[in-house]
Amino acid sequence: MAPLLDVRDLKVHFPLQRSDRPGAMVKAVDGVSFALDEGRTLALVGESGCGKSTTAYAILGLVEATGGQIKFDGRDITHLTRKERRALTGDMQIVFQDPSAALNPRLSIAQSIAEPLAIAGQSRDQQRKRVAELIDRVGLPAAFARRLPAALSGGQRQRVVIARALALSPRLLILDEPVSSLDVSIRSQILNLLMELQRDLRLTYLFISHDLSVVRHIADDAAVLYLGTVAEQGPIDAIFGAPQHPYTAALLSAIPLPDPIAQRSRQKIILSGELPSPIDPPPGCPFIARCPIRIETCARVRPHLAPSGTGSTVACLVRVPASAA
Amino acid sequence: MASGPVLDIADLSIAIHGNAIVDRVALSIGSRQVVALVGESGSGKSLTALSILKLLPDVAEIAGGRVSVNGVELSSLSDADLATVRGNDVAVIFQEPIASLNPLMHVGAQIAEALRLHRNVSADAARDQAIAMMAKVGIPDAPRRAAQFPFELSGGMCQRIMIAAALICRPALLIADEPTTALDVTIQAQILELMRTLRDEAGTAIMLITHDMGVVADIADQVYVMYGGRIAESGPVQVIFAEPRHPYTRLLLATIPRLEGVRKTQLKAIEGSVPLAGHWPSGCRFRSRCPLADQVCEQTPPLQAVGDDHFSACWHADRVAGIV
Repeated sequence: MAPLLDVRDLKVHFPLQRSDRPGAMVKAVDGVSFALDEGRTLALVGESGCGKSTTAYAILGLVEATGGQIKFDGRDITHLTRKERRALTGDMQIVFQDPSAALNPRLSIAQSIAEPLAIAGQSRDQQRKRVAELIDRVGLPAAFARRLPAALSGGQRQRVVIARALALSPRLLILDEPVSSLDVSIRSQILNLLMELQRDLRLTYLFISHDLSVVRHIADDAAVLYLGTVAEQGPIDAIFGAPQHPYTAALLSAIPLPDPIAQRSRQKIILSGELPSPIDPPPGCPFIARCPIRIETCARVRPHLAPSGTGSTVACLVRVPASAA
Repeated sequence: MASGPVLDIADLSIAIHGNAIVDRVALSIGSRQVVALVGESGSGKSLTALSILKLLPDVAEIAGGRVSVNGVELSSLSDADLATVRGNDVAVIFQEPIASLNPLMHVGAQIAEALRLHRNVSADAARDQAIAMMAKVGIPDAPRRAAQFPFELSGGMCQRIMIAAALICRPALLIADEPTTALDVTIQAQILELMRTLRDEAGTAIMLITHDMGVVADIADQVYVMYGGRIAESGPVQVIFAEPRHPYTRLLLATIPRLEGVRKTQLKAIEGSVPLAGHWPSGCRFRSRCPLADQVCEQTPPLQAVGDDHFSACWHADRVAGIV
């Protein structure tokens, strides 16, 4: 079976608008590939500027891919006309991090959820029925329909945003940090809702997050991004059980465990330095400046993804020498 | 320095429009101690911290209680004396370093300014000390960086600048309000490591305000869990994690997905929403979301000892272990 979403060598480069750097390019996404089967969850993991959100925006057509190919259900959707893109919006939807910014404060909950239905040309009656169904589906009381977002808590607002995203029965849902802005005691409610919806509606999730404990719990596979490229990708068990890329290992080590004894006794890898700029990245390995295991070759040769032997693929010349790949 | 606590908060209440948003909070921090104040939005943790330096927003007023730093009660101080305490004895860093820095001033000068305000040093000496402090908090190439503006630095670097400015006068207490929440995890690990070093080397006491139980487990000695403007539970970090005796703490710990847990299972959730500040039920403020709540909880539970240095404000503290 063909994957629902198939991304090959995706590139999103922006020209830098600065007079002191003529011709400079921001390589936000620089050769990302992955396949996502129907009903499964792939997590895009990484820190700010790694290209995880830009990848999602390119899939949705919110930014233009400058290279590579995106296929949805077997069809090339890399470059679509506005009309074609619009016809596709029912099939793929996105939920953003901050539900307060995603809802029009002057529209009632019912009006917000009905908007995509109205645009799709449904009758008032159809809309009313579907809105009631969706409000119930995401676990909100029916009485909320007439309220304004201001009367709702953050978690309730995120439920509304999810209901609106589900309105046209999409097949792919892109979840961009869906619980990061919520209070800790509310996050598990929303994660439970997302898992339940996926099971019941056979949804496919592209789950963007910097929170690795959440990713491990909810995803089937993960791609770890660094500076617009994939450092390592594969099944969750391989990535978390035996990380092969030094960046994956450092990321895992950097999550503080909610257990003082375990957290204080574990060996920590603390990376030196900063996240580098994606403006004209160096020719070799993007991770080189912060890498604890770099060798001389890494400055010249860009590593490509190769099987690591543990189930993941990894882009590291030290772990998987180019000759062996 | 006296051997008493660096910070002692007794019976502190803060009201907004007559509503006790912070209700009779007591807390103390000893020298070299890292104390975590844990809570969600509306828990009153940030207001408690802001009140220490009298930085409360205009609508909020201190309705009762005492705050003492190194044995000196702050309400007795004149504005001029209070200005001496700020930055000198107590310094604060916030979540958004970029918002805390002056965008039009070189970062080095912002660190030096703190020193010039509180110490009688020449401009040259202040600049040299600022650069030395920048190097100490892990800023590479400090002399060049000192002459840059905040926008030229990353978020992690700006937070280091804030820490350098906060520490340049060697305060006895550093208040850190969600200092790593806006930062990436690998940078968070660096900043936590830096705070640990400061505590170990300079003996700085740290009040860490956070919602992240992982950060608490990593660095805190003592934990105060706040809910609805009150202390729900307090105790040594190991005890709070191993044997929480308040349902809120217990549930909060249970909701976090664990790296060793079974994947894709339903996560433990706390019912309902975090009530808006001031919209709590009478009696125990957690009772609208608590699985143990019954009629007794209509009365406000006192914070009572449940173990060595371990306190819980729950009528059913002995049944907490059974709820998850």
